[in-house]
Amino acid sequence: MTLDTSTATDARSGDPKDGGRSVWARLATWTPYHAMMSLVTASPRRQFLILAIFPIIWVLTQHLGPMLQMLRVSLTDAYPVAPGVEQNLTLDNYARFFADSIFMMPFFRTLVYAAVFTFCTLIITYPVAYFLARHVSRKNQMLMLLLLLTPFWVGEIVRTYAIMILLGNTGALNLALKWLGLIEQPIPFMYTSFSMGVGVVYLTALYMLLPLYSALEKLPKSMNEAAADLGAGPWTRFRRVTLPMSIEGISSGCTLVFLISTGFYAVAVLLGGPSTTVFAETIAGFFHVAGDQWPTGAAFATIMFATALLITGVFQMIMKSLRKGDLT
Amino acid sequence: MMRGNRIFLTCFYWAFVLYVFIPLILMITMGFKDSKFIGFPIRSWTLDWYASVFSNTEILSTFGYSVTIAVLATLISVFVGTWIAVLLEGRKFWGRMVIMGLTVMPALVPGIISAIAFRIYARLLGIEPGMGAIVWSHAVHTVPFVALVVMARLSTLPKSQIEAARDLGADPLIAFVRITLPYLIPAIIGASIFCMLISFDDFVRSFFLGGYEPTLPVLIFAKLRSGMSPEINAIATVALVLTAAIGIWAERFTRRMNKDS
Amino acid sequence: MTKLIYNRRRFLGTAAMTGAALASPAYLRRAHAAGGEVNIWTYNDFVPAAFKEQFEAETGIKVNVRLVDDQGKQFNLLAAEQPNPTVDIMTVAGHRFLQFIESDLLDPLDTGRLSNWDKINPTFSESDWSTINGEKWGAPILSGMEVLSYNTELVSEEEALTWDTLFSEKYKGRTAYIIQDMMSIVMLMKGYDGNMVEYKDDPEKAAAIVQEVQEFLIEKKPLVRKYYDGGAEFQQMMINQDIALGHSWNGPAAALINDGFPLAMTIPREGSYGFVYTYNIAKNAPNADNAYTFLDAILASPEIGAAMTKASGFISTYKDATQYLTELEKKSTSFPDEQLANLQFFRAEANEIKYSLIDVAVEKVKAS
Repeated sequence: MTLDTSTATDARSGDPKDGGRSVWARLATWTPYHAMMSLVTASPRRQFLILAIFPIIWVLTQHLGPMLQMLRVSLTDAYPVAPGVEQNLTLDNYARFFADSIFMMPFFRTLVYAAVFTFCTLIITYPVAYFLARHVSRKNQMLMLLLLLTPFWVGEIVRTYAIMILLGNTGALNLALKWLGLIEQPIPFMYTSFSMGVGVVYLTALYMLLPLYSALEKLPKSMNEAAADLGAGPWTRFRRVTLPMSIEGISSGCTLVFLISTGFYAVAVLLGGPSTTVFAETIAGFFHVAGDQWPTGAAFATIMFATALLITGVFQMIMKSLRKGDLT
Repeated sequence: MMRGNRIFLTCFYWAFVLYVFIPLILMITMGFKDSKFIGFPIRSWTLDWYASVFSNTEILSTFGYSVTIAVLATLISVFVGTWIAVLLEGRKFWGRMVIMGLTVMPALVPGIISAIAFRIYARLLGIEPGMGAIVWSHAVHTVPFVALVVMARLSTLPKSQIEAARDLGADPLIAFVRITLPYLIPAIIGASIFCMLISFDDFVRSFFLGGYEPTLPVLIFAKLRSGMSPEINAIATVALVLTAAIGIWAERFTRRMNKDS
Repeated sequence: MTKLIYNRRRFLGTAAMTGAALASPAYLRRAHAAGGEVNIWTYNDFVPAAFKEQFEAETGIKVNVRLVDDQGKQFNLLAAEQPNPTVDIMTVAGHRFLQFIESDLLDPLDTGRLSNWDKINPTFSESDWSTINGEKWGAPILSGMEVLSYNTELVSEEEALTWDTLFSEKYKGRTAYIIQDMMSIVMLMKGYDGNMVEYKDDPEKAAAIVQEVQEFLIEKKPLVRKYYDGGAEFQQMMINQDIALGHSWNGPAAALINDGFPLAMTIPREGSYGFVYTYNIAKNAPNADNAYTFLDAILASPEIGAAMTKASGFISTYKDATQYLTELEKKSTSFPDEQLANLQFFRAEANEIKYSLIDVAVEKVKAS
C-alpha cells in the first residue's frame, strides 16, 4: 500500500511520516486483517451497517432509555408509587400546562431570555474569536484561547458567587465607581435581568467561542486578500466572505448556547430577581419543594424539551438555506 | 482601515479577558479573607483557608476523584461522539434525522430531570451508584457536544482527500485513521475540553448517581449550606491551579510524544 | 476589626477544644465493638468530625457520611433507591415527616432502643409534631425557626418587632424572603392558622385564605429585592448590603452574627414558625442495628449537641447544651421569652391541602 501522507499534512497533527507508514502498511498487508476488512467492506451496505450498528444501539439504550423513563413518569398520576396506591396512566400532567396561564409566562420568558442571551453571547464572542483566528500568530493562538478558558475551570457556583460580590451594592464594581466619584449611592445591579445576563453570558461564552474559533480559523486568508484585490471594502469583505464562511460555526455555537440557556437553573436562581423566574425553576419546583409531583415536573420538562428541539431544528434549517444561498 | 480594525479587535479581546478574569480574581482574593464569609469590605487577611485546604486530605482526594471521573467520561464520550459524527455527517439514509435528534437529546434535558431519569434507569440496568455510574451519566450527557463539534469539522473535510487515499488502495478504516482522524484532531481536542469542563462542573448528576464519596461540586454544594465561606474560594482556587498544572503537563507531554514518534 | 480577628481565633480554638472534650468516651463503653458500617445522609457539619472519629474508634463501625443540601433531593434520591436504599440514617425536618412516611420511606423509631432518648429536651422530643400515627419517627438534633433578621446599622429593633416592616415603603427594594415560608407567615400576620390544620376539612376556606395571601404578596412584589432559596444567598445579600432586612432561618443569621456582622434577629409579634431537624432511620436500612448504636451515641452528651450548634447556627435540642457555648454563640441562638412565646412549630397534618394550594400560589406570585 502506498499512501501519500502529504494529503493529510494540513491537519497539523505532527503526522508521523516514516515510522507510522510502516506500521500501517504492515497492518494493511497482514492477512487476518485483510481478510477481516474485505469481509466487512464486501458491500457498501454491509459497510454502512457495521458503521451504524454501534451508534444506533448507543443512542437507543443510552440516550433514549432514560428519556423514555421520564416520558413514562410524565404519563402517570403518581410517582414514586406509594404502597397500596394504584398507578394510572393519564394526560392530566400535560393538560395542566395548557390549562393554567401562570406557566406560560416563565415558559415564554425562558425562550425569550435564551434567544436574547444567545444573541448577546454571539455579538460579544464573535470579535474575540475573529481576533484570535485572524490576527494572532498560529503559535500564540492556542495559548490565548486557553487563557480565556481558565476561568471556566472554576465551578459554576463559585463563579456565580464571584459575580455577586462583583455586582452587589458593596460589590467591586460599585466600590470602583464610588472611588472614581461617578456615583454617590450604589447602583443596584444585582437581581435584575442585567445581572442574570452577565452570569449567563459568562457561562455560555465558552460554548460559542470554540465553534466560532474553529470555523474562522480554517478560513483561508487568501480569500479575503483576493476579495480585497478585487476592491471590496472591509465591510463588504466581512459580509460577503467571512460571515458566510463562518455560518457553520455560528450555527453550531448558537444551537449549543440556546440549548444550554433554556436549561439554566443555578444562575437564574442565584442572580435573577423576583420577576425573572425561568421555566427551569418552575420544573425544579415540582421536584424540590413539593417533592411528590414528579409526573407534572416530567411532563413540563418534556414540553420544554420538545419546544427547544423544534426551535433549534428550524434554526438549523434556516442556517443551512442561508449557507446554500450565499455560496451559490 | 485595516489598522483601525486591528486596534479595535485587540481592545475588544482584552476587554473580554478582563470581563472573564475579574470574577476569577475576586474569587482568588476572597480566599485570603479573614472571615467566614466572602464579600467587601475585607478587614483582615489570613492564609488559614489555604492552609486548611492543603492539610485536608479529603479535599485533595475529592479533587483527584473529580479529575478521574472527568477524564474517563471524556474518553468514552469522545469515542462514541466521534463515531456518531462520522455516521451522521455527509451521509443520507433513512432515519438519519431520528438518530440526529436522539444524539443531541441528552444535552437538552434539564439537569434535575436527566439526573433522576438516569437514577431510575441505572436501577433498571442494575448499575450501582458510585464512580462507574457518574462516569456513565457524564459520558452520555457530553456525547452530543462531541458529536456536534466533530460534525462541524468533518463537514469541511475535502472529500477528494479520502477519495485519493481510497484510490491508492487504503481501506476505509485505514483511510479514516490516516486522513480523517488527523484532520479531526483540533475538533476532538476542543470537544474534550468541553467534556472535561462539563463533567468537572456537574453537580446534579454526580449527586444523584454518586455514592458516599463526593465529587468536588457535591462537596462545595454541601459546604455552601453553611455559607459561602472563603474556604470554598480557596478550594476552587487550588483546584484551578492544579487543573492548569495538569493541563500544561498534558500539553507538554503530548508535544513530546509527537516529537518522539 | 479586632472583633473579627478575635472571632476567627476563637473559631479555630473552639474546634480544637471540642475535639479534646469529646475524647472521654464514657458513653461509648456499653457499645461493644460491632464492626460494619453505618450510612448517613446529612448536612455539612451535622455530624461533628471529632465525634465521628471517636465513634469509629470505639465501636469499629465505619461512618459513611453523604453530604446533602436540601430536603427535596433526599426525598427524590431515597424514592429512586427504594426498596433497596444505600442509606441507614437521614436528616429530615420534622414537618416533612409526613411526606416521607406516606411514601413509605421511613421506619418508625424504636425509642426503647435509645438509652439516651431522655437527654433530649422534651420540648422537642414530646412535641405535637413529633408523633405521627402513634409512632415516633425521628430523633431531634437541631431546631430552626423563621425569623426576621435585620442589619442593626440600618434598621431599628423597634421596626424589627413586626413583619409589617418587611412590606413597608421605607425599605423598598431592600428586603428578601423565601416565598414558600413567607406564605405561612403572612397567614399568621392575617390571623389565620399557617399550618392550615384548622381548614383541613374546609377546602373552600383554605383556598380563599391562600388566595388572599397570594394577592397580598403580589401587591407587595414591587417592594421586594429577591425571593431567595438558600441561607448562603441570604448571607451574601446581607454582606453585599443588597438588603437591609429579610426573613431568614435562624441558622444562617446566627452564623453571620458569630462572624461579627452587625445583624440581629427577632420573632415578630405576629408570630412565627419553628421546625426541627431529626435523624431518621430509612425503611429497609441495610445496617439498622448500627444506626441505633450511632443514634444512641450521638445523643449521649450535650457537648455533641453544642458542637452541632457551633457549626450550624441552629439551636440544639439537647438538654444543657448551652453551657458549652460562648457568650456570643449563646446570644445568637437564644431569644427573649416574650418573643419565644410567639413561636409555634410547623405541623404536617394538613400538608397535602396546604402545599397543593401554596405551590400554585407561589408560581402565580413569581409569574405575576
